[in-house]
Amino acid sequence: MSVSQISVFVESKPGHLGNVLEGFEAKGLSVRGFSAADTGGYGIVRFVVDKPEEALADLRERGFAVRLTKVLCVKLHDRPGELASVLNAMAEAKINVVYCYSLVSTYVVLAVNDIAAAEAALASGTLELVDDAEIAAFPCEKAL
Amino acid sequence: MGTPMPSPDKIDFSTLPIYKPDVECTSRERIRAIQLAKLIDQVNYTYDRVSWYRDRMDELHVRPSDIKTLDDVRKLPFTDKSALRETFPFGLFATSLDEIVEMHASSGTTGKPIVVGYTKEDMDVWSECIARLAQMAGVTAGDRVQMAFGYGMFTGGFGLHYGILRIGGMMIPAGAGNTERHIQMINDYGTTVLIATPSYAMHICEVGEKLGFDWAASSLQIGLFGGEPCPPGLKAEIEARMHITCTDNYGLTEVMGPGVSGECLAHRDQQHIAEDHFLWEVVDPDTGEPVPEGEMGELVLTPLDKRGIPVLRYRTHDLTRVTTEPCECGRTLARMDKVRSRSDDMLIIRGTNVFPSQVEDVIASIPRLAPQYRMIIDNESGLDRLTIEVEIHPDAFSDSFEDMNQFTQEVTAKLQSVLLLRPVVRLLEPNSLERTLGKAKHVDDRRRG
Repeated sequence: MSVSQISVFVESKPGHLGNVLEGFEAKGLSVRGFSAADTGGYGIVRFVVDKPEEALADLRERGFAVRLTKVLCVKLHDRPGELASVLNAMAEAKINVVYCYSLVSTYVVLAVNDIAAAEAALASGTLELVDDAEIAAFPCEKAL
Repeated sequence: MGTPMPSPDKIDFSTLPIYKPDVECTSRERIRAIQLAKLIDQVNYTYDRVSWYRDRMDELHVRPSDIKTLDDVRKLPFTDKSALRETFPFGLFATSLDEIVEMHASSGTTGKPIVVGYTKEDMDVWSECIARLAQMAGVTAGDRVQMAFGYGMFTGGFGLHYGILRIGGMMIPAGAGNTERHIQMINDYGTTVLIATPSYAMHICEVGEKLGFDWAASSLQIGLFGGEPCPPGLKAEIEARMHITCTDNYGLTEVMGPGVSGECLAHRDQQHIAEDHFLWEVVDPDTGEPVPEGEMGELVLTPLDKRGIPVLRYRTHDLTRVTTEPCECGRTLARMDKVRSRSDDMLIIRGTNVFPSQVEDVIASIPRLAPQYRMIIDNESGLDRLTIEVEIHPDAFSDSFEDMNQFTQEVTAKLQSVLLLRPVVRLLEPNSLERTLGKAKHVDDRRRG
């Protein structure tokens, strides 16, 4: 089980991230979570949205360098030690987490090279994994 | 429809038109004889009618009767752009303005514009030169030719227009700008030939793709480019994406305008010089002395039958080399390498000579980059710094910083191996560099002091 993530190449300049988001608004796309990291000159902004294929098509059409990747999305219980337990499970299975970020605080995206292995590493716990359908469905109020 | 020309080894050149075969395919001896006869006439004409040249020739103690061989051209004074500025607007004209039927001027981005006037005979030569290069690309009377150059004072618009009329092609004088309308017109009128700057052709291509226009199925077959140097990578990309064959030509307002030389389909990196109208020399840009045939140097041009403004030994500052070997296309007229750099666009960065064309070649060889770039040179920190901005190709982006950093390092290393200095490479979003309608501006030198 995985969710779709949209990665966009964005120059680190005022307004560039806004340009990306403008189209989302026009198309009625909802951002469920995102992470932005930069190197000084350019950045990669990663989005989890309710309609990833539409977001991808919109960005492509507007000429952005964009990529759709599959990432794991874990739904944590809101209690101490949960995040650590996920990362420990990855470490024990010798899976490198390339980057990770949270959607709302209990929904955490993990980018790994082998989704199935990572999923298996988490299977023993009580953690729930999330798919695109759930991303599309979840209103933030419910998650909170 | 819209089928690109086959590769040169598969083209049957006997099926392609040659506008004036008795000159374009004649012997080297005859070409030289034509040139000498015209040169003698032209020097006499110029000396008699233009005081500026008479004064300079007198200073050098050269008389028109001293011109007895083609090599004697070296006795004549050089002409630089400044001569046309000093004599602005009509000081170099050899005829009364009554005989001038058309005037043009260069854009004059630095100082006053360069003004040129053409007599009826000059217009005849000009349109013939354009007709020749259009036929080198395969244009015939049956073609529908859409103009995307600006008309107006710029020599490119009307120059190409008259040449196409000379062949009997149908001109669609759309003019520059309004890209969507261009695409609509190609579609509505079944345009077969597009005349544009290469950077604007690329823009038309991209806009068409965004609108969902199917270039492969379109009527367009040929692109005639000019107005700015056409990087080989950009041309190849346009040919592949628009499914057309593109050639470009060389010329400059000071000696006529477009049409001094044109590209045939046998040697895509060279252009046949209209030698019966232009005497060429290739000289060392520093000494002005001739370099051996086939070696790189500055192109010097003497128009041989120009009546309105005769110009002797015009220093183009364009670097090229010329071969007189016969060409597979059937023409015997000399071929010059396409001008990739100018003696005056050489940059000296941290003591190293750098030509923008070197950057262009490296960028064109990297498929993950669009064939666009900008060079920024500054010395804010005291030392010269070269920053090269390049656009990542939309499909070439990966989700990994590691990969993008590695890619940036690879581009830097490739550039460093050619330029012999290490640039800062900055990756930009697709389509973020300006696509100009006119001369694409690639260099921004911000150095002070």
